[in-house]
Amino acid sequence: MQHKSRMRIIEYAITIWVIITLNFLLPRLIPGDPFLVLSSQEAEDEEIILSEEQRQYLFEYYGLDQPIHKQYFVYMGELLRGNLGFSLYYKQPVSEIIISRLPWTVFMVISAVVLSTLIGTIIGCISAWHREKWVDKSLFLFMIFFSEIPSFLIGLILLFVFAAGLGLFPLAGAVTHFADFQSGWSRIWDVIHHAILPVTALTISHLGGTYLLGRNSMTTVLEKDYLRTAWAKGLSQSRIIFRHALKNALLPIVTRVFISLGSLVGGAILVENVFSYPGLGTLMRQSVRVHDYPVIQGIFLVVTILVLLANFLADLVYKKLDPRVSS
Amino acid sequence: MAINAHLINISKKIGVLSDPKNLTAKAKGHCQKIAATIKSFTLLGKFGLTVVTFFVLLAVFAPLITVHPYDLPSGPPLMAPGEGHLLGTDDLGIDIWAQLCRGAKISIIVGLGTALLAGLGGGLIGIISGYVGGILDKIIMRLIDIMLVIPDFPVMILLAAFLGPSLTNIIIVLALFSWVSSARIARSQILMLKEKTYIKSAVLYGAGTWYLMRKHFLPEIFPLIAVQMIRLTGRAIISEAGLSFLGLGDPTSKSWGLTIHYATSFKGIYYTDFWKWWLFYPWLFLMLMVVSLAFISRDLERIADPRLRKK
Amino acid sequence: MSADKPLLDIRELSVTYTSSNPAVTAVSNLSLQIRKGESLGIIGESGCGKSTLALSIMRLLKDVRTEGEILFSGVNLMDLTEQQLRKYRWEKIAIVFQNSLEVLNPVLTIAEQLEEPIWAHEKLTAKESNQRIIKVLNMVGLDPSWKNAYPHQLSGGMRQRVLLAMALVCEPELLIVDEPTTALDAASKNEIYHLLRDLQKRIGFAMILISHDVAFISRLTSQVMTMYCGQVVEYGRTSDVLKNPMHCYTRGLLNASAQFFRYKDLWGIGGKPPEEMRIYEGCPFAPRCCQSSDNCRKSRPELRYVALERQVACHKGGIETFLKAEGIKKSFQVKNRVIQAVKRADIEIRSGEVVALVGESGSGKSTLAHTLVGILSPDEGSVYFRGKKVENHWASRMMEGMQIIFQDPFSATSPRMKVLDVVKEPLDIMKWGSPEERNEAACRALEAVRLPVNPEFLERYCYSLSGGQRQRVAIARALVTNPKLVIADEITSMLDPSNQANILRELKGLQNRFGFAMLYITHELHLARKVADKVYVMHEGEIVEKGDASEVFEKPKHLYTRQLFSEAFYEESKG
Repeated sequence: MQHKSRMRIIEYAITIWVIITLNFLLPRLIPGDPFLVLSSQEAEDEEIILSEEQRQYLFEYYGLDQPIHKQYFVYMGELLRGNLGFSLYYKQPVSEIIISRLPWTVFMVISAVVLSTLIGTIIGCISAWHREKWVDKSLFLFMIFFSEIPSFLIGLILLFVFAAGLGLFPLAGAVTHFADFQSGWSRIWDVIHHAILPVTALTISHLGGTYLLGRNSMTTVLEKDYLRTAWAKGLSQSRIIFRHALKNALLPIVTRVFISLGSLVGGAILVENVFSYPGLGTLMRQSVRVHDYPVIQGIFLVVTILVLLANFLADLVYKKLDPRVSS
Repeated sequence: MAINAHLINISKKIGVLSDPKNLTAKAKGHCQKIAATIKSFTLLGKFGLTVVTFFVLLAVFAPLITVHPYDLPSGPPLMAPGEGHLLGTDDLGIDIWAQLCRGAKISIIVGLGTALLAGLGGGLIGIISGYVGGILDKIIMRLIDIMLVIPDFPVMILLAAFLGPSLTNIIIVLALFSWVSSARIARSQILMLKEKTYIKSAVLYGAGTWYLMRKHFLPEIFPLIAVQMIRLTGRAIISEAGLSFLGLGDPTSKSWGLTIHYATSFKGIYYTDFWKWWLFYPWLFLMLMVVSLAFISRDLERIADPRLRKK
Repeated sequence: MSADKPLLDIRELSVTYTSSNPAVTAVSNLSLQIRKGESLGIIGESGCGKSTLALSIMRLLKDVRTEGEILFSGVNLMDLTEQQLRKYRWEKIAIVFQNSLEVLNPVLTIAEQLEEPIWAHEKLTAKESNQRIIKVLNMVGLDPSWKNAYPHQLSGGMRQRVLLAMALVCEPELLIVDEPTTALDAASKNEIYHLLRDLQKRIGFAMILISHDVAFISRLTSQVMTMYCGQVVEYGRTSDVLKNPMHCYTRGLLNASAQFFRYKDLWGIGGKPPEEMRIYEGCPFAPRCCQSSDNCRKSRPELRYVALERQVACHKGGIETFLKAEGIKKSFQVKNRVIQAVKRADIEIRSGEVVALVGESGSGKSTLAHTLVGILSPDEGSVYFRGKKVENHWASRMMEGMQIIFQDPFSATSPRMKVLDVVKEPLDIMKWGSPEERNEAACRALEAVRLPVNPEFLERYCYSLSGGQRQRVAIARALVTNPKLVIADEITSMLDPSNQANILRELKGLQNRFGFAMLYITHELHLARKVADKVYVMHEGEIVEKGDASEVFEKPKHLYTRQLFSEAFYEESKG
């Protein structure tokens, strides 16, 4: 079994290596001059056309004039030192920009994961407990409907109804700029107030999945032989639900929490842009608009590695929870 | 002699195929099958089918049912829905209804294009991987594992940024990140089928690869891949809308996502009522399309997968 | 007097699953009683309602409608609330569930699952409960160090022990054991048997043992109950029931148990239990029963006493006696000498039974057979078919009567008659049905003995047939009347071994399918051993030994029988 977990680590290492290599190769594999092709789009936006100076920088940054293996080693070396390059647009090291934006995205994604998992599991278990009764049927219908709507569409309607229409929430941003907060609490409230809509959008779109999983998982567990054993022992209902049923039903849900981070990140990028939330998603869009390639690549790398890390954590947690895997 | 017999055989087959009676009978059988499938849909599935049919009709007959061009101004800017412009106009005075009909077409092209490319391509990769096995299978499995953990949307942005915004590029990018599911399904089916006694006995009788594919593997795998392709269509439409929303779509395509992009990029959109038509209708169309496709595929999955059928 | 008062008294219990459509009655109108320290075995095929009964005693079933009373030391469990039931579950009544991978919670350790019921029912300190756990684990012969293991780390046999330990942890008064030997090898099975026996002796719990392993039941229980379609069809002392089953279903179950018969071929019960256990108007076993008649399908039989401590649910009062012969004497006068061919023979053949009558040539077997069927009339004694004295061939003159198949196939059928005419002759004689119906019946009979039914064959004359074919024709002729009793007199002795094997297997197969009783007369002990349920040994006109085939062949008592067997089975005893 030791061997198996070592294999997993090697697999992850290979995946990370493939991603880094992909990141390295991509700008080099695109036929023609990648920095010219894009330069003519979106005439409305300012600073779109790369100046000769900028193109020169990009060429040097990617080292396109050097032999490819040399470029590769230089690239890897820089990466190991934490150097993700230098942003043309922000005139700042990419790593610094990313670090300043990352907390917002992480905050949003984690809040959405926690909320959707909690709510989804609880409702799913309620549904499973009342299986085939009207509670279950109506919850099921409601949930599969919402599980299919992409988060940014939910975000858009929330934004226009609750923020633009009713004025209950701020239209954009994560904090009120230039505000003078009376206390730490009002600052925290300000952050929460800004985060409510984007987090809700992500949570709703993610809720259906956890609900279905929770319901399925709980239904399966409720039909297991060991649950009948537990009833026969004359244990109390709460003990049966929490100790016998839930502990088993949670196993697939926990794994899914981590695995789903990957798909949530995609949604988060879009939702951030809906609400102009200052995370990596808006940064990515801005960088795409101004062709700030080092930033785009940097974000991609960071996000991917974080998602991989989450997957790795999922393995670890699952092992802790399920004695069948660990031994 | 053998060749002669073979030729006769082939000509017989052609005869069978071209026999009009046979063809209609076959078509009739298929129609009945389809009708039976639709009948076993849930209410949501039927709803989805209706909506999707509506959008397909919209896309096909777009030039006939729209009065105004979709790419040129035809009225005053930012006109509310009303006479002449069913759903109003945008900031350039382009008719929204015309844009949305055009958008339906784009969505369907992107969705179907991606689904065909990813579904068939992925299916083929899966079949080869499962059938050939060995080192090739191992490599493909590793590749699939890697693809599974990479968050797809950021990669799509990256690729789209590098490749440049065109409809073809978007389809290629989407397909690149959607083939994995079909490949896994096809591969696991092949592996499962390979263990079946009837395949083993067919091999004992001397069946070749081509025969096995035609008679056993493809008929089992195709329905599953087809269902998966509907799911892929929905996902491709969402992803295209997302990319377009971020400004990475084909600027000439007028897809629903792009309309939303232009609407949300408009400076005064939050403080006026324009969003009630300019943003709302593409939003509604997109949502209906995506949800409907999901309902259809949910029902088809239930029908195609006998394990789920019981539930 | 606690000894008189039953610990568990189930009265007219019916359990109906309401979730399925139509509703399925898994247990119907069942009553049983168990006293302290007693053990009751329940046998029956899968799906007969055994497990439903076990679960309903503990009131563990959901989506069911339950009627009747379950009295546990006088308290009706049906009246209790869920809260009150918890006090009975495990503390008073514990169950050893059927062993499966998921019968124990995979994420809890053995100790955690063992201590749960202790904490739920008794106020013990952590130390005390730990001691208790160690005690029960020792009791079931499992090393206490296993208590920190997870279920998946245990083998099947160990898991069975844990299940047993778990059931005993609160020292229940009644232990329900559900299929304890499933998927266990012979050694583990034996260990579980010893454990259950010793534990019951030591602790003194009452036990309900559910199993389709009849041999296991026979070693552990004092009472046994056969269930079919949710109904008790036989109830009695285990040793009696298994030795002499009185219900056709119980007998069928025993015949299907390989442990009981070392030599006999295995025969399952023909047909299938009804798919959905709807409430039948008639006896649920009637479609598969070898002695069912019209009124079996009309009303449901009640469980009635047919002997001391023996209850059977059958309209016929259990397995029917088809043929009974008492004190048969037959002698022949050859010139001046009187040869006593049969001296006071008693014989009894019950429905669906194969009785072998064995003995040397000239021991009087054929004479007895001919007397029984009425070809010869006895000097003394009388023969009864289904309780009526046999006179004037009435029993062989009718449909569903008694028929004989003779030794010599060449003389048994007329060589100048056509096959079809030979087979339908009895029908023609009885004037049964229309000519077309007779032809059809004849064809069915020919098909049953695997002869062709094409016009060409039907028109063939018997002289052109081989010996094997003619014997088959003779069998078909006997079967065409749909007899309840067939007397087969050395039918295979004139055939070559291959034909002999074929005919015998087919006859036994037909017997199993149609359920007629058969008196199989032979001097070939090897053949008799393959098919017989009961054996009569004849020597010089006397029946010297009779009894259960397995017993007689295993432990012959009479001197002559021993001698006969030792000659016949010489090869075996040598090896």
